[in-house]
Amino acid sequence: MLSQRILTKNPKADAYLDAIEMATGICLVSFLWAHMLFVSTIILGPEVFNGLSEFFDIYLLSYIGVPAIAIIGLIHFVVAGRRIPTNIRDQKIIWQHAKQLRHTDTWTWIFQAITGMAILVLAALHIWAISTGWPIRAESAAERMQAFWWFYLILLALGEYHASIGLYRVFVKWGWFPRKPIFFVLKVVTVIIVALGLGAMWVFLQLGGAA
Amino acid sequence: MGNRTLTFKIFRYNPQKPEVKPYMQEYKLEEVSGMTIFVALNKIREELDPSLMFDFVCRAAICGSCAMVINGRPTLACKTLTKDLPAKISLLPLPVFKLVGDLAVDTGTWFRDMAIKTEAWVHTTKEFDPTALEERMDNKTAQEIYEPDRCVECGCCVAGCATANIRADFLGAAGINRVARFMLDPRDERSPEEYYEVVGAEEGAFGCMGLMACDDNCPMEIPLQTQLSFVRRKMLAQGLKLKTEKVAL
Repeated sequence: MLSQRILTKNPKADAYLDAIEMATGICLVSFLWAHMLFVSTIILGPEVFNGLSEFFDIYLLSYIGVPAIAIIGLIHFVVAGRRIPTNIRDQKIIWQHAKQLRHTDTWTWIFQAITGMAILVLAALHIWAISTGWPIRAESAAERMQAFWWFYLILLALGEYHASIGLYRVFVKWGWFPRKPIFFVLKVVTVIIVALGLGAMWVFLQLGGAA
Repeated sequence: MGNRTLTFKIFRYNPQKPEVKPYMQEYKLEEVSGMTIFVALNKIREELDPSLMFDFVCRAAICGSCAMVINGRPTLACKTLTKDLPAKISLLPLPVFKLVGDLAVDTGTWFRDMAIKTEAWVHTTKEFDPTALEERMDNKTAQEIYEPDRCVECGCCVAGCATANIRADFLGAAGINRVARFMLDPRDERSPEEYYEVVGAEEGAFGCMGLMACDDNCPMEIPLQTQLSFVRRKMLAQGLKLKTEKVAL
């Protein structure tokens, strides 16, 4: 073995990276689904939404949560992204392979890489938007939604897709659940979360007119 | 069944003659009942083109020699009936393995390297006594070992794997499945640490991205995803326990 390899050899590294990829992914999915539930409280009325938002402010949960999620997201991007081939030759092989094989779970992985990169940019913009318009209240959220509904529609679709497929892959990769039933369960959860998200968007757009 | 005329588009390239660039050659053949790709290829070679190179031995899905990419998917030529395919059939050699020529690839060298890397033999300190009765094994364990052991080393799982296509050092489902087989075997005395040396890295269990094309394309229908996740869980548990020492510079 080469000396630079001997000096930097760390047999634990690959196990830890794999564990970190999974753990950060599960954290982010949990956050996303909780986030969508919190946002959809607007359906119950602006008072409920504002009450929840104030609760997160009073106990400083937002001030810990937002940076924590941003950091976890960044770690997940770097660690999960290590699997994306960055040289042109391997890129061409992957695309050729996927087109030839016509295999669903190979394509979903390619979309996973693409949506992951898109979410990195969109989520960063979203965090910037909420931070500059702090605090989060029904009125300010409605204004944002009024102006940028298309942005949120894209982020909702990409985020939900990435989260569900990612969780599906975690479960089958580690063999915790059989493949077909877990895919079905995750599809149902995704439909519910997207419906809640769309419902919340619609309510915000109605509010936006009045604000 | 009305006899169809099948159009085969077959990859042609002979690494011995690099001056002839790779190309797809077309052959037309009357379909007969019960025709497999293996039968069709032999007919093409006998009647149309004696220069066509492809591998086969057993013609009964036992030897694993005739694996190739049929209409985009890696599978065994002898196990694929033409009646299940459209009239246009494309044939490519398996990727990842060394191309011998046309549809023939050398899977033997790859599998031999894999067997050496994974030390695919029972590691035991017990002295073998040829006169003693064979040790008994309960049926459940024997069945569990038999499942991964059904692998015929055709290479379809490796060819279907995106990771194996871009990482030459990746053990692939065939390699990890082989390790699972020895992990299950009570006669093998290797410890989790010793197994970790073999598959506890990106070249082994942690390199798998979970695309499951191995599982979906295995002609023997071995539950490869189950075997892979079994090894992955064991190796993570071992990896998190591991103590390492650095060379003090």
